[in-house]
Amino acid sequence: MNVQNVLSSRYFPVVVWVFGLLVVWEFSSWFLLHVVEASMAQSKIPYIHELVYTFTQYGYTLFVEGKATFSNAAIGFLLGATLGGLLAVLMSISKWIEQLTFPYAIASQMIPILGLAPIVYGIFRDEQIARILIAGYITFFPVALNMLRGLRSVDPTAVELMYSFAAKPWMIYWKLRFPAALPGLFSGLKIAAPLAVTGAILVELMGAQNGIGVLMLRNLYYGPSHNYMFWSTVIVGAFLGVVSYLLISLIERIVAPWQPDFRSSGGDD
Amino acid sequence: MSLVNTPEIKLERVSMLYQTDSTEVLAVQDVTLDIKQGEFVSLLGPSGCGKTTLLRIMADLIQPTNGEIKVAGESARAARLAQKYGIVFQSPVLYDWRKVKQNINLPLEMIGMKKSEREDRVNALLELVGLEDFKEKYPWQLSGGMQQRVAIARALAMEPEILLMDEPFSALDEFTREHLNEELLSIWSKVGSTVVFVTHSISESIFLSDRVFVLSPHPGRLSSVVDITLPRPRTQEMRNSPEFFQLIADIRDSFEGV
Ligand SMILES: Nc1ncnc2c1ncn2[C@@H]1O[C@H](COP(=O)(O)OP(=O)(O)OP(=O)(O)O)[C@@H](O)[C@H]1O
Ligand SMILES: [Mg+2]
Repeated sequence: MNVQNVLSSRYFPVVVWVFGLLVVWEFSSWFLLHVVEASMAQSKIPYIHELVYTFTQYGYTLFVEGKATFSNAAIGFLLGATLGGLLAVLMSISKWIEQLTFPYAIASQMIPILGLAPIVYGIFRDEQIARILIAGYITFFPVALNMLRGLRSVDPTAVELMYSFAAKPWMIYWKLRFPAALPGLFSGLKIAAPLAVTGAILVELMGAQNGIGVLMLRNLYYGPSHNYMFWSTVIVGAFLGVVSYLLISLIERIVAPWQPDFRSSGGDD
Repeated sequence: MSLVNTPEIKLERVSMLYQTDSTEVLAVQDVTLDIKQGEFVSLLGPSGCGKTTLLRIMADLIQPTNGEIKVAGESARAARLAQKYGIVFQSPVLYDWRKVKQNINLPLEMIGMKKSEREDRVNALLELVGLEDFKEKYPWQLSGGMQQRVAIARALAMEPEILLMDEPFSALDEFTREHLNEELLSIWSKVGSTVVFVTHSISESIFLSDRVFVLSPHPGRLSSVVDITLPRPRTQEMRNSPEFFQLIADIRDSFEGV
C-alpha cells in the first residue's frame, strides 16, 4: 500500500474526521479544566484517555451489565415485533379489526414510558420482565404501522396477477404481500430497535439490580469521583443502540437485498 | 350442443360502466362476440376505447355491469379458478424480489409443479424469449422490453388454454417486435391456446390474427370484425403482399366509418 492508495481510499476522510474530532475534544477538555477552570469540568467534557483507561479497568463489568440490558431488550424487541407484525396482518385482512384496534394502538403510544415503567415494575416486581415488556411495548407500534403500510403498498395489478392464477388468499400473502411488505417491516424494526434499548435502560433507572442503566444511575449518584465511569456507561448505552440498529440493517441486507436502496449505481460490485 | 361448437369465449351484449364518486364512464357498450377455441383474435382500437376493460372482463378480473360472458360454456370465474388463463398485462408486473427465472417460475409454483420439471420448463421459456443470459438478474436490471419478454414467458409458463395479452409488444422496438410476433405465432401453433391480443397497431393485428375486432371509442363499441384470410404459417414477406395492404386499407375504412 503506497501513500497514493491511502489518500484515495474512501475511508481516509472518515479517519481524518475521527482523528480531528478526538484532538478537538481532548483540547477542549484540557482548556475547560486548566484554562477556564470551570467547576466539574470533567463532567462536561471528560478526557478521552481517561475514558479509555476506565474501559480497560472496568471493561468486564460494563460488558456484563450491557449484556443484561441488551439481551432483555432483544427479547422484548422480538416479542413486540412479532405482535406488531401479527396485528398488521390482521388489520390488513380486515378493516373491521383495523377500526377496532387502531385507536387503541395509537392511544397506547400516548402513555409516557416514564410513567408506564414504574407501573409495570410495580405489578411484576421483576426487573427482567419489566425490561422485556417495556422494550416490547415500544417496539410494537412502529413495527405494526410500517408493516401495515408495507402490506397495503402492493400494486393492484400484482394482486390481479395472483387472481389470474386462482391463488388462494394465504398464497397471495405468502408469495406477494409478505415479500412486498419487507421494506416497510424493516424500516419499522430499524426505528424500534434503538428505542427498545433506551426503554430497557429507562426501566433500570426505576430501581433494578442489574443492567447498564443501574450502573449509570449509581455512578451519577456517587458524584464527580465516578465521572469517568458514568460517561463510560453512557457510551455503552449509545453503543448498544447503534449495534441494534446495525444488526437489523445487516439482516435486512440478507433477507431483502433487492430493494432500491441497495442497488449499486454501477462502479463497485 | 357439441363441445366443438361451443365458443371458447362468448360475450353477449356486454357493457361496462365505471362509476366513481362524481363521474360515470361507459367504457364498453353492448359488445357481442364469439371467439372460437384455438383462434387467434385481436382487439384493435385507439387509446381509451375499452380494450383493456374487455380483456379484464374476459379474465374475470372485473364483472361487466350488463350482459353475459361465457368461457367454454361456463362462467369466466370457473375458467379462472380452473387456471385456464395466462395474462400479459399492459405493464410487466414483475415481482421485484424475484430474479428473472423466479418470476417465470411463479405460475408453476402456483399449480404445484415438481421442482425438476419447473427448472426445465423455465429454461425452455428463457430460451424462447431470448433471455438465457439474464435469468439470474433482478427485474430492475433489465430494459423495459426485456421485462415485457419476462412477463410473456411467465404467461406462457403454464401453457394456458386462453392467453390474454394487453399490448405486450407496444414498448418494444420494431425489430424485436416483428421477431416476437413470429415467435408468438410459432408458440401458438405448438400450444394451441386461444389468444386474445390487444393492440393499437393495425399491421400487427393483421399479421397475427385470424380475426380482428375493431373497436371504436366513447363509448367502446365493436365497430367491425375483419377476417384475415392470409394463409398460415405467416411470414415476414406477407407484410409486403397486396393482400396485406388491402387488409390495412379495409381496417382503416372501418375506422373512418365511425
Ligand atoms: N378503473 C377505472 N375506473 C374508471 N374509469 C376507468 C377505469 N378503467 C378504465 N376506465 C375508463 O374506461 C375507458 C376505457 O379504458 P381502457 O383502459 O379499457 O382503454 P384501452 O382501450 O385499454 O386504452 P389504452 O389503449 O390506452 O390502454 C377510458 O375512458 C378510461 O378512462
Ligand atoms: Mg389498455
